[in-house]
Amino acid sequence: MMRVEYINPFVSAAYSVLEMVLGIEPEKGQLAMRPGIFTTQQCNIVMGVTGKVEGSVIYGMSLTTADKIASHMIGQPIRTFDALAASAIAELGNMITGNAASLLSEKGYTCQISPPSIIRGSNVKISTVNTPALVVPILLGDFGFIEINVSLQERK
Amino acid sequence: MGKRILVTDDALFMRVTLKNILTQHGYEVVGEATNGRESVEMYKNLKPDLVTMDITMPEMDGISAVREIKKIDPNARIVMVTAMGQKNLVVEAIQAGAKDFIVKPFQPERVIESVQKLLGN
Repeated sequence: MMRVEYINPFVSAAYSVLEMVLGIEPEKGQLAMRPGIFTTQQCNIVMGVTGKVEGSVIYGMSLTTADKIASHMIGQPIRTFDALAASAIAELGNMITGNAASLLSEKGYTCQISPPSIIRGSNVKISTVNTPALVVPILLGDFGFIEINVSLQERK
Repeated sequence: MGKRILVTDDALFMRVTLKNILTQHGYEVVGEATNGRESVEMYKNLKPDLVTMDITMPEMDGISAVREIKKIDPNARIVMVTAMGQKNLVVEAIQAGAKDFIVKPFQPERVIESVQKLLGN
């Protein structure tokens, strides 16, 4: 059973991390439920979570948003989405998920995170198999938006 | 001559960021390790004045690396720089011998303040 309370730590963590990293005030969009298979955004950070809750968290954004965020983090415009840009975007996912894991642990759901992977491409379908994902868009002003897909279950 | 620092993080972006912050403040980054095992090996060879250490890394995690480095040099000065801020990890890292714990994302001043406190200005 996917519980709504699992997504709140990710929203709180995303707010604080994005505010600090991008220097903007993020806004929350409409929460929605997704089936086990969905079409992703063009650039996705995929993170694994293990422990008392387990599953995956996918941060999706457009290529333009990824370029803008990476440029801001690196401190200069990026010409191509190279290893440094990918690493910056991956680190964003790592920071949000790491902070969210701390918040989950405070609620008693101790968990660890696995290193991020980046998936880029159009019309990519991702299946979270048996756990439907809850999705919240986080609006980032001129940067665009990031969708947070949280697909977690309590470990039996 | 600036104090010599070894940066440990599996993320290229984070190594570049830390290196920029440190060199801008007059410190010399003598090595960049991409996991705990590399950091331990580089510590032996480079004998840096301070090490920054991520936790979640392939091959050997940061807390195990702190323990290994402390075996080589009980006076090693190591600062954890990680996205994982859980209390149990902070406690474990400090017990292993880390001197400070910085949670990502951080302001550059937070890193400099920590390094200055441990190395003196």
